[in-house]
Amino acid sequence: MGITRRQFLRWSGVSTLGAVMFNGCRIPEEELQIESPVDMPEDLVSGIDNWYATVCQHDMSSGIIVRVVEGRAKKIEGNPDYPMNQGRHSARSEAALQSLYHPDRLVEPLYRDQRLGQLVPISWASARQILSDKLAGLSDKGKFRIVTGPLRGHLALLTSEFVKGYGGAHMAFESLEQVTLKAAIKSVFGQNRLPEFDIANAKHLVAFGADFLSTWQAPVRYARAYGEFRQGESRRRGTHVQVDSRFSMTAASADEWVPVKPGGEGVLALSMAYVMIRDGYVPSVHAQALTDGKLLPALDNFSPENESVRNATGVDASRIETLAHEFANPGNQPALAIGGGSAGAHTSGLFNLKAIYALNVLVNNINSKGGVILNPDPPIKELSGQDVVSMGTPASLEEWQSLSGQNVEVLMTRGVNPIHGLPKAAGFSEVMANASFVVSFASFLDETVALADLVLPEHTYLEDWGDDVPDPGPGYQVFGIQQPVVRPFHEGTRSFGDELLILGASVANDLTGILGLEPGDEQIRPEFRDLLRKGAYDLWMQNRGSVKAETFDGFWNGILERGGWWDMEENVKSQSAPDPLPIGSDGKITWPTIEFQGQQGVDTFNLLPFLSNSMMDGTLAHLPWLQATPDPITSMTWHSWVEINSKTAKDMGIKEGDMLELSSPSGIVEAPAYLHPAVPPWTVSVPVGQGHTDYGQYASGVGVNIMNIIAPMVDADTRALAWAGTRVKVRNTGVNIDIPKFEGSVPSIEAEEGQIIQITNLH
Amino acid sequence: MVVEQRNRHKWGMVVDIDRCIGCQACVVACQAENNIPINDEESFRARRAFQWIRVERYWEGEFPNVKARFIPVLCQHCENAPCEVVCPVYATYHNDQGMNVQVYNRCVGTRYCANNCPYQVRFFNYWEPVWPESLRNQLNPDVTVRSRGIMEKCSFCVQRIRRAERTIEGQDNSTISDGELWSRNLMPACVQACPTGTLVFGDLLDETSRVHQLKELSLADGGRGYKLLEPLGTEPNVIYLKKVDIHADGEVKAHA
Repeated sequence: MGITRRQFLRWSGVSTLGAVMFNGCRIPEEELQIESPVDMPEDLVSGIDNWYATVCQHDMSSGIIVRVVEGRAKKIEGNPDYPMNQGRHSARSEAALQSLYHPDRLVEPLYRDQRLGQLVPISWASARQILSDKLAGLSDKGKFRIVTGPLRGHLALLTSEFVKGYGGAHMAFESLEQVTLKAAIKSVFGQNRLPEFDIANAKHLVAFGADFLSTWQAPVRYARAYGEFRQGESRRRGTHVQVDSRFSMTAASADEWVPVKPGGEGVLALSMAYVMIRDGYVPSVHAQALTDGKLLPALDNFSPENESVRNATGVDASRIETLAHEFANPGNQPALAIGGGSAGAHTSGLFNLKAIYALNVLVNNINSKGGVILNPDPPIKELSGQDVVSMGTPASLEEWQSLSGQNVEVLMTRGVNPIHGLPKAAGFSEVMANASFVVSFASFLDETVALADLVLPEHTYLEDWGDDVPDPGPGYQVFGIQQPVVRPFHEGTRSFGDELLILGASVANDLTGILGLEPGDEQIRPEFRDLLRKGAYDLWMQNRGSVKAETFDGFWNGILERGGWWDMEENVKSQSAPDPLPIGSDGKITWPTIEFQGQQGVDTFNLLPFLSNSMMDGTLAHLPWLQATPDPITSMTWHSWVEINSKTAKDMGIKEGDMLELSSPSGIVEAPAYLHPAVPPWTVSVPVGQGHTDYGQYASGVGVNIMNIIAPMVDADTRALAWAGTRVKVRNTGVNIDIPKFEGSVPSIEAEEGQIIQITNLH
Repeated sequence: MVVEQRNRHKWGMVVDIDRCIGCQACVVACQAENNIPINDEESFRARRAFQWIRVERYWEGEFPNVKARFIPVLCQHCENAPCEVVCPVYATYHNDQGMNVQVYNRCVGTRYCANNCPYQVRFFNYWEPVWPESLRNQLNPDVTVRSRGIMEKCSFCVQRIRRAERTIEGQDNSTISDGELWSRNLMPACVQACPTGTLVFGDLLDETSRVHQLKELSLADGGRGYKLLEPLGTEPNVIYLKKVDIHADGEVKAHA
């Protein structure tokens, strides 16, 4: 078959096989450069590598390019063009290759044999028939639920239309979710989308609880900016204060770490606001906006001199004053405050985050260089609808709990593991047990999939079409495109989007018409890629931004080549006034009670769970590279551990590797102790994401699942899980194990002269 | 390409530890590029995990005045390398581009080199590396999988440098520059990944390269440059830039 270059480009643009060679910044219509032997597809030349651009779903918001040699993906790098990460990437995106070639992938549909009680292989045709029969047989259309991760872009559009067609509901699952963060951003900045934080141009940065260099929101983007913030050319070195109840990787990088008491972050922020207003650092217009015109008296409760402030924060008056002065000092502008993570995961979570983000209003950094940059709506109209946007907001604990009373008949899960990631009190195992039929789309068998009646194996994202509208974006419109960089490695996997379209067509639910796709027939039915192309067509018609072309095909190839489309000119020009903080009837702002559930008395601690730097919430725990990546602070690998202060541990007779029993009213777990000097003596920390019973050979049986002992505390306003609101009792079981840590793998290479880490106070 | 026609290069690296956040992106990038065996749980217990580049973490002080410091450590590609002189079979030698090179098919596994390396960056294959069959699809065809009995270490991603010479200098008749290395993904894997720009790689002989400029600036009076274990006289081709601590009392040296 003699394919010309021109034909190849066209063909690749419309087939699931094709992808266009990534060529840097050339004009889209430019032809491929490679000379190919006769009878070989043009992008498959022996010994020559091709690079394809796509977006990363392991590390949301990153654009990647993938090196493909003879049909096999070999290496992932950051996409230098993609605005979010600009060529840089993380350990997590690197490991997508292990997901693709993982030995434990699901490779064929499985159906639970009622007699044996086991999952047995069936064909796709039967699987589709079973599923559409179940959907058609719903006694009430409202009894259908679909649970996915937070969805964005066209998959959110498709899923929301699919759900509407059934009168069911969608719930987004996220472990250690950020429900309160979204609510706080909405309240303070009036925005539905998370803003960009311009760290690269800030001079002074105060972060509360957000581990933004490691796991929070868009860590690669922030880390790239942080390098500039630190030692960028032609700028003064920025200073970073981390207010955090745990010594995170981000706290380790900060110039100063303030170990605030858990839950007291908001009180500390408003105490800083009090000092800033009292000492005349804040123009009264900003102070009025925040306090509803009542100014300093409204903040009386937050004077750092108050004993109650010191009790709530654990920080003394003079230090709060210094923090406030540094933040507001004109010489330190632009100053930037960000908050999230554990700061928003208390019963006072929303209050905390609102108070923290309000600091930005006081220094007036909104939409200015080095400050909080608001993000515009997506460039494609269909993607900015409320229904579509809400697909990206995770469900709160209260919503999960109410699900069990709703008599769900057919439950569909896709790529998420709520059985492992939700606390028991959410009642999700009961929902699964009571549902008459559970179907799971997944690439791997995990604890949730193992309970399903029907298992449908999905492509990994390196084999599938998709898109992304990053949230948070970079301050302007970005539409990232995900294309298959290799053919599906297994014959039996399918695309989730394609399957929804097929299902939609078979159950008298004309998704094709609703989505405005060409109807097609049995042989050529619409695919998810067609929906992406339709969105791209809208973009092409707008004729602006990073890719413009004479023809739509040229445009399509251009965005595939670059990994997406963006328009730096398209940003938010106006903003609404911030909501004032809630003021009581006495004209004063008060803080909500900071409550904890669990043990009190000797040997009890605040439990601070945290996302793993490499495995996040455990979604990536099945990948051996990421299990073997040392935790930045403890150097621990392949296990769970309990971080406990060295001195406290010594007083309790605890040594490294001692198995500690952590008990809360919700349960008990055991994990080995790791002692270090930077754990606040009143807390212990355990990473989430381990303790899988079913997640492939590399994750099963490794460590413990800390979510099993998280108490069902909720934020007072949003009813989201207050995952940092648990207190535990710590008991030494007396068993000691040799912990798999990297530390000590090489003998200390300290010398008399010439220390390893040399330090200067020069900027 | 004939060897005599090769352009002269001297490869080196600058590591700015004031930028390092300890994120481990370099570590995993290196493992993906260089076919490093999977470090299983047992390898960590046995203290035999393979990490051609590693991030060390040092503590200073006690709570609440406590600091953690990160430093990436890789082969220093010493000009005066203690590993080279002890190899009985010339499996490790210094090439004409400033790199300390390991020739796998010469290595007979005496382990003298690892024993003599003060930076502890050499790794010995006590076992044959194993991957599940499907994971082998990811292996980089440009890099040898080392067998049992062989010593291995950071090569500055020599396969990428060779590709740069072949494609940029050989085919395109151009010169290797920072820009060319970046745009063709030919920086060493760790450098290409590093999100904060801690790692800077390039040709020390190229006056326009960032690594050359940083070296000149940082080793001048008042600069932040230093070399690891400098008193040993190994003359590394990797230069470190000191951590900045605004609270430090003048020029201090942290205890490691």
